[in-house]
Amino acid sequence: MRQERKADFLATLAQRRRTLAKGWYKYSRNPLSVLGLVLLVLIGLAAGLAPHITPYPAQAGAYTDFKNAGRPPSGEHLFGTDRIGRDVFTRVIFGYRFSLLLGIVVLGLGVAPGVVLGLLAGYHRGTWIESVIMRVTDVFLAVPPLVLALAITAMLTPNLLNEMFAIALLWWPWYCRLVFAVSSSMRSQFFVREAELSGASEGHILFKEMLPNCLAPILTKMTLDMGIVILLGASLSFIGLGAQPPTPCLGTMVADGAKRLPGEWWSTIFPALAIVIVILAFNLVGDGLRDVFAVEEV
Amino acid sequence: MPESILSVEHLKKHFPTKQGLVRAIDDISFSMAPGDTLGLVGESGSGKTTTAQCVVGMYPPTSGEIRFKEESIGTAFKHRPKYIKGDLRIVFQDPGSSLNPKRTIKQILSVPLKVHGIGTRHDRLGRMKDLLNMVELPADEYLYKYPQAIGGGEKQMVALARALATNPSFILLDEPTSALDVSVQGKIINLLIRLQKELNLTYLFITHDLSLMRNVSSRVAIMYLGKLCEIAPTVEFFERPIHPYTNMLLSSIPVVSDEEEALKPKKVSSKGEIPSPVNIPPGCSFHSRCLAKNGRCAEDDPAMVEVAEGHFVRCHAALEADPTRFGSV
Amino acid sequence: MALLEVNDLRVGYRIFEGTLNVLNGVRLSIDEGERVGLVGETGCGKTTTVKTILRVLPVPPAQVQGGEILYRGEDVLRMSARAARDLRRREVTAIFQDPLQALNPMFTVGTQLRDILKESRAGQDGGRLRRREIEKRCIAALQETGMPDPERIMTNYPSQLSGGMRQRICIAEALSREARLLLADEPTTNLDVTIQDQILRKLDELVDEKGTSVLMITHSMGVVRDLTQRLYIMYAGAMVETGKTKELLAQPRHPYTQGLMKSVPRLTGEGISDGIPGRIPNYLEPPSGCRFHPRCEHVMPVCKEAIPSFYPVDEDHFAACYLYRS
Repeated sequence: MRQERKADFLATLAQRRRTLAKGWYKYSRNPLSVLGLVLLVLIGLAAGLAPHITPYPAQAGAYTDFKNAGRPPSGEHLFGTDRIGRDVFTRVIFGYRFSLLLGIVVLGLGVAPGVVLGLLAGYHRGTWIESVIMRVTDVFLAVPPLVLALAITAMLTPNLLNEMFAIALLWWPWYCRLVFAVSSSMRSQFFVREAELSGASEGHILFKEMLPNCLAPILTKMTLDMGIVILLGASLSFIGLGAQPPTPCLGTMVADGAKRLPGEWWSTIFPALAIVIVILAFNLVGDGLRDVFAVEEV
Repeated sequence: MPESILSVEHLKKHFPTKQGLVRAIDDISFSMAPGDTLGLVGESGSGKTTTAQCVVGMYPPTSGEIRFKEESIGTAFKHRPKYIKGDLRIVFQDPGSSLNPKRTIKQILSVPLKVHGIGTRHDRLGRMKDLLNMVELPADEYLYKYPQAIGGGEKQMVALARALATNPSFILLDEPTSALDVSVQGKIINLLIRLQKELNLTYLFITHDLSLMRNVSSRVAIMYLGKLCEIAPTVEFFERPIHPYTNMLLSSIPVVSDEEEALKPKKVSSKGEIPSPVNIPPGCSFHSRCLAKNGRCAEDDPAMVEVAEGHFVRCHAALEADPTRFGSV
Repeated sequence: MALLEVNDLRVGYRIFEGTLNVLNGVRLSIDEGERVGLVGETGCGKTTTVKTILRVLPVPPAQVQGGEILYRGEDVLRMSARAARDLRRREVTAIFQDPLQALNPMFTVGTQLRDILKESRAGQDGGRLRRREIEKRCIAALQETGMPDPERIMTNYPSQLSGGMRQRICIAEALSREARLLLADEPTTNLDVTIQDQILRKLDELVDEKGTSVLMITHSMGVVRDLTQRLYIMYAGAMVETGKTKELLAQPRHPYTQGLMKSVPRLTGEGISDGIPGRIPNYLEPPSGCRFHPRCEHVMPVCKEAIPSFYPVDEDHFAACYLYRS
């Protein structure tokens, strides 16, 4: 009996490994996708280990050193110093921390409810449940995202937490719609009917039968969304409604440095480039994921 | 008199649509004894698939009774007790979509076992292996595969294993081999026949393939536009087909040998199209295509009459004239 | 000279994991006015063959690896694209399994039929036809296929018509071009059996009248028996048996054909066999030699070495099997 269970466990593991290997094979066909992944890993590691790998961790937040202010890039300060003397390189790396955190929290908060509502709406297609959910979704989608985010953060005190909350509120409707599209067409597939006729509970049908078939578009969209969320966060900070100084936020850094262009170009250009690179990385990974999930027609 | 395991009485199922009322099933009655294999044959619009769907509970009937083992089950599956869901199972037509492509066969088979509380967590693995062995698939290999990795015939066998998981006494087979090649069909059909004897199963076999029913079923019923035309034990059905539509069907079957050609009705050939189920002609629904019609056919809908032991026909002309006018064997 | 002659055709498809070597030396020939059947199961390469003959294969990822397709002696594979298009316009035409896919849902039947005639350049000296002439021919074509009320049908959209009617329209389209060769790829598989019967009988009548040659591709033995004079049985990209239809069906010689015939349910009610064990080969790594050998109960060592050629087993009846090598 134990032998049998062990064999079962190993066989299940082997199948999972095979699925992952096949996925990696498809992903790695495109060198750009691999580049994207490498960049992401580097950025992630850098952000995670920020205090340990940056040359001047203390200069990330509240710090002033007017003697060293406004120095161009040099051996000591890779990206130069900003107008109050902080090392830009250190601030950029710490800035990545906040950007990634923003992305993770927003998607974490926004995706899950969107997916659940989408599954419910798709499964109960044609009933009042679907109508209610989809009409509410429509209302949220009708408001331009930046405007809504502005309104919410303006209503509450502008800080990182509220920024995350505002953007998360914008995000769930897209996932609801995406999942609704997939799940409502799946509704009539025989395997769903069969589960119903067997007597499986609605929870089982939604999460164990339908959800696995929606994962592909959800994951792809999440990856591409990370870039957009980060950009949105940077935009909010750029106009001063996000994280407040002295928090090292990439958007704020770009805004501050912009006043000093073209003279002290380093305090704007480097944070801006950092934003571009992280968004690019997420987009490349998203494209790669799309290749992995694409069904080949022969 | 064996008790009937399934009996359908004056079943009607109508769907209101934008184009009008679709009378998919328009008053049919039949019953099945345990161990029977009833072949329900019809073309598109006949209502055979809707009948299967009502029996299994996908739709509640518009009117009429469905009794399973003397218990009334004429409701949608949501309201049926669990033990009925386990006792009356279905195998669907399209192997491609009846198995969830994102779940392994082990996960697929575990669903009915878990839902009906069969065995403990520990015995379930054994039970799944038994099921795969019953359908002659190598268990150790197949449990961990995904549906895309196996062929159409094998997918249907997994679907059958899933149906058998709850020890049913009745299985509804909705065109189980229509999408499969003929070289694969044989294995599944013979498996079904064998399992029927071993496990005491009753089958309601929905199909459009009369030649297949000649080799599989114990009784055959023909449906046309929501009504039953003829129902008889198999041998009697093929030797003395009476209804004009039955004869039209039989004469249209493509056969592969001279002996079979000789068995087909001679003087009938197919004509006309099947009317839309929204616009069913008055009187007998077949009269617009019928070669044997008389004055009554356009006005009165005929009733089902027993012409021989177990052989029922619904046709004015056939009963008034000599039945051998249309059947030529 | 045969109207169509296919010799040793090899076609593959490039995919991620390698090349699917689907067609492995297809050979067939059709004479003027002859009706030939091609029977094979899913995945044997029937549709690939048709597409290659019509030169409508999507060329990457597909690639023609060898062989020739001679239409009246000229190699279709080596023609210019323009010549191939002309061939499709005037000489060779096709009808497929799903008429809803073949007909454009956005245009009425009339528009589609007229478009075909306009492009067919079947007027005098290969010029364009006049409008009245086109209209007349369209109505005539529909009438010939047994369509009731052709004028009204011309104004309908395909989605308003039944499957049988749509297939009749496809037949009308195909025959209105006065082609010499009709390739019919499973034209009645999706239709009800009573409608199938009508359509096949009508097709029979029409090709008889016009003397068109037909290649009827199907997986149904019964359909070819009624409609064709000669038959090819295809398995995994190659022909395994050929002969006069009724004789071949009554006395199949190749083990694959024999297996198939035993699996067909008969009206005489003797039950059906368990089918043929095994599965169709994986075209990425197909079996060596005769591709049927892994499933064959008569397999011999020589079967794995090279593909057998057609050996005569009877008058006008050949099987590609070493069992018959004398």
